[in-house]
Amino acid sequence: MFLGRVVGELWATRKSSDLEGKRLLVIEPLDERRGPPLGMVKPVVACDPLGADIGEAVLVAFGKAARVACGGDGDFAFEAAIVGLVDDFHVPDAPASWRPEASADSSSKGSK
Amino acid sequence: MQVGTVVGQVWATRKESSLEGLRLLVVQPFLLGAEPSAETLVAVDTIGADLGERVLVVVGRAARHAIGKGHDIGFQCAIVAVVDGMQLEDRRVGQTTEGDS
Repeated sequence: MFLGRVVGELWATRKSSDLEGKRLLVIEPLDERRGPPLGMVKPVVACDPLGADIGEAVLVAFGKAARVACGGDGDFAFEAAIVGLVDDFHVPDAPASWRPEASADSSSKGSK
Repeated sequence: MQVGTVVGQVWATRKESSLEGLRLLVVQPFLLGAEPSAETLVAVDTIGADLGERVLVVVGRAARHAIGKGHDIGFQCAIVAVVDGMQLEDRRVGQTTEGDS
């Protein structure tokens, strides 16, 4: 299970029937932001039963936990799911890039 | 699950008997940013993906379930979807987009 940030969404027509009706989001694991050069982060694709928004920090589970979170009995052709929308987290030693505001770099604050 | 591009195919005559009849594709994982990954992985194709197509790859039990030959099979990586499109925060990446530089 890890903390990540939603950076995108993907669509597929030709897919396993287990993925029918599932929303698939592209997640950037936060701990991969710890100092790597841009362009070297491998994103995780996760099913989203909760309705996460782009830019939101989320909790992602793997394996059976993910399949159960999407209403299955464990036999599904996917192994990652969003299981929580993070309101806030406190990790004193985390790099500044962990914070949602810091990572959504292009969206500047509204006030002048 | 991860996204990757099909970059090749593998054939093996002498193999674990549970792998008979499976189509094995070489997939290059997609990285956020720019450069393609230096690593590749081999996945069973359960969908009929073509060379150059962007695909969704699962591992472990999900992959064995997708392959559909039971859970006692000597493989743990499978393609479960062909990606039509991907909308990312800072750019759009289509199905056949390669590094366009």
